[in-house]
Amino acid sequence: MLRNRTVLAAALAMAVGAPAAAQTLDPALKDYKQISGVSGSIKSIGSDTLNNLMTLWAEGFSRMYPNVKIEIEGKGSSTAPPALVAGTAQFGPMSRPMKGAEIDAFEKKYGYKPSAIRGAVDALAVFVHKDNPIRCLSLPQIDAIFSKTRKGGATKDAATWGDVGLTGEWAAKPISLYGRNSASGTYGYFKEVALFNGDYKDSVKEQPGSSTVVQGVASDKFAMGYSGIGYATADVRAVPLSTKTGEPCAPATSEAAYAGDYPLARYLYIYVNVNPNQPLDPARAEFIRYVYSKQGQQAVIKDGYFPVTQAIADEDLKAKKLM
Amino acid sequence: MTSTSIDTARARPAAGTLARVRTTRLQAIGEPNLWALGGALAFGCVMVVGFLLLVLWNGVTTFWPRPVVVVTTTDGARLAGEPFRSEVYRPGPEVLATLDEATRRRIAAAGGLAGRDLYRTGNFDVYSEDFRWVSDYAVASTAMPSGLMFVERLEWGPFIGTIRGVTVDGRAMPELKDDPRALAAAHDVARARWRQIRHIERDLIGDVNHELEAERLNVRRVALRYGDGTPEHVAALARFAERETALQADYARLAADAQGLKETDGHTQITLAEIGGAEKTINLSAVVRMYPANDLGVAQKLGVYLSRWGEFVSDEPREANTEGGVLPAIFGTFVMTLLLVVVVAPFGVVTALYLREYARQGRLVSIVRISVNNLAGVPSIVYGVFGLGFFAYVLGGGIDSLFFPERLPNPTFGTGGILWAALTLALLTVPVVIVATEEALAAVPRSMREGSLACGASKWQTIRRIVLPRAMPGIMTGVILAMARGAGEVAPLMLVGVVKLAPDLPLDGYFPYFHLERSFMHLGFHIFDVGFQSRNSEAGKPMVFVTTLLLIGLVFAMNISAVVIRNRLKRKFAGSQF
Repeated sequence: MLRNRTVLAAALAMAVGAPAAAQTLDPALKDYKQISGVSGSIKSIGSDTLNNLMTLWAEGFSRMYPNVKIEIEGKGSSTAPPALVAGTAQFGPMSRPMKGAEIDAFEKKYGYKPSAIRGAVDALAVFVHKDNPIRCLSLPQIDAIFSKTRKGGATKDAATWGDVGLTGEWAAKPISLYGRNSASGTYGYFKEVALFNGDYKDSVKEQPGSSTVVQGVASDKFAMGYSGIGYATADVRAVPLSTKTGEPCAPATSEAAYAGDYPLARYLYIYVNVNPNQPLDPARAEFIRYVYSKQGQQAVIKDGYFPVTQAIADEDLKAKKLM
Repeated sequence: MTSTSIDTARARPAAGTLARVRTTRLQAIGEPNLWALGGALAFGCVMVVGFLLLVLWNGVTTFWPRPVVVVTTTDGARLAGEPFRSEVYRPGPEVLATLDEATRRRIAAAGGLAGRDLYRTGNFDVYSEDFRWVSDYAVASTAMPSGLMFVERLEWGPFIGTIRGVTVDGRAMPELKDDPRALAAAHDVARARWRQIRHIERDLIGDVNHELEAERLNVRRVALRYGDGTPEHVAALARFAERETALQADYARLAADAQGLKETDGHTQITLAEIGGAEKTINLSAVVRMYPANDLGVAQKLGVYLSRWGEFVSDEPREANTEGGVLPAIFGTFVMTLLLVVVVAPFGVVTALYLREYARQGRLVSIVRISVNNLAGVPSIVYGVFGLGFFAYVLGGGIDSLFFPERLPNPTFGTGGILWAALTLALLTVPVVIVATEEALAAVPRSMREGSLACGASKWQTIRRIVLPRAMPGIMTGVILAMARGAGEVAPLMLVGVVKLAPDLPLDGYFPYFHLERSFMHLGFHIFDVGFQSRNSEAGKPMVFVTTLLLIGLVFAMNISAVVIRNRLKRKFAGSQF
């Protein structure tokens, strides 16, 4: 997974210097230009993290092409591969890369691999209540909090806030854990990176949606939970994180995510069934182009995530022969 | 035993003016039970009424325009926002350490507690947050200055700030800033233009695209039937090319129209400034509604309030369902419930008729009856799984490969849709109808059947003319119960056709007008989606109540109309009784 992170940092650094603030777009991103004769229907089944973002993209896209019908269903990343294989969906948004077995199942049916486009960058945030004074956590600490196997190297289980360094009224209070259900890509990614492929504690309250995790943390003063940064509200705070204990912590901001300092930065993917020997049908091709346009990336900001750069857009569009 | 003791108790007063002494135990008379029963009823009523009042209050007040408060904090920063809610909290030692001595003492005097308010600041595109907590001790002063505008936009949520300038058709018109009526007029013009653009894009271009898609499918159908490259296929291709050119020309014309309008639209803009001075210029047509939040009279507030309700029930959702209206969800819920009734009523009634009137009462019928009753207890999500597996995949997949091969691999019926959702819910609610119908049939007096049979009517004639009409009110009650249950059910629907965003209603102007295969939106799912799936759960909470209110209202309205129909029927048959 470390490898993935470096790739992300490198790809983003390649662009015209990382954007200055969270709310600025890569100026190299192009305005979307409408073309004629695009119609058809698109169905997207997959990630809950990307649910709202897909909806925003769909809204923008159908403003351009009023007669492209787009339906969106988001119940978790794990629902995307079966839907793509069965052909019930044309797009499969996922908040984690596809697993080998999922790619194999797809390849067995179609004879080629599914294509991934990287539509946005997310800093998977560890949220605490807004009154929580904690300043910094390292991945091994997170592992000790969330995992029963502690593969991250922590020697001691962290069950109370005192175990991660808080004092006063916090010290004796147990950490109340909120997480996602296993269909979620966020669950999978967090398990892989923050838990070093260990197992979650049984006491993690598994929630059906990212927003419910945030609401759970918001209403529980001694809680901790993880979800996409896009779901942050005024009632919760994202804890700055570091990869190793003792290193300086990076906040869950776009700069830290782009620079690769934030350890839980990840791409949000949309998987598409692209036959390498045939041109992509116009509706899907244009949707992908829209995602990588200035308007598409503006929607990313609107949903609270971080936009990708033109460099990434170029790379993915070339791979899909859309440029 | 009880009756004799009561008798003696009653006889006692005759013995004289002695204080009445109860010899019967209270238990026996049933007085404590009476209290328990009455208490249970009262408790139930209080719960239901309390729930309804909660929903009603929260739902009804959500759209009422609130004042915008400008808060100046002790460090000199200012923010403007609608006060949302407040709470009392205990600032931690690390927070206290950052405060000055006087504030610390004040907090200590208040028992270590401090208050704070949540403000909806809007301006998400400027602040990248739209809610902010402000602690009471950090507030230097608050004010409600006039001239602050609350601007609801098509994108990015509300903007709170002042109007800096207005440009109409490319000309700067600073006087509009202070002339709300003229500004409203300019706004109306811009909105009308926006609606016209939408009409061209959605309806007119929609027609062209629809026709194009139909032609494309036609070619594919010919290719599938006769094979690629056959004369029929070549002819179809030629016809398609011809039609396509014509349609593309139509499209180009319409697109140019829309583009022209959009360009004109881009010349009418409004520049807004947030409290810190950052400016934002947007098209005036992208403003849904704006009002000076602190300068409104009650009548104007009522106007804003009604206009918001109007938008909510008659418009489509925007911004990933967090804004705009819920018309598709209302419509989806309504159509699905109607379909459900159309399916469940005949099925349930016919089944019950056979069970009660024709089937020989024996072990088999008892087993069937027990099974039906048990069906009512199966968790609804199980029906959802069945609906997805059987209706959508097996039945729908079969229909697709038989009738819509040209659309494959895109499924038509082979995925969740309003028809499968209605059938699944029909399955879920059919036990209710069966049980109610059986009861109603059993309640028809035996003498009436026998009278009819004695007059020479056949069994079927008796059922049709005598039994069914008298049982009708009871049957209707069953159907109403089924409808109420079906309209409020969400869990199975999530598997068989409800989606977050379905741009098309199941009913529209294209042949065959009624599209049973389409996915749809549902108010119940909308509640779940807005409350627990939206980016900003804080802003979603009030919408949950509004949508709940609407769903309750819809179910109530449907039930009431069914009750009215039932009462009509009752009256009709009451007159013809012996």
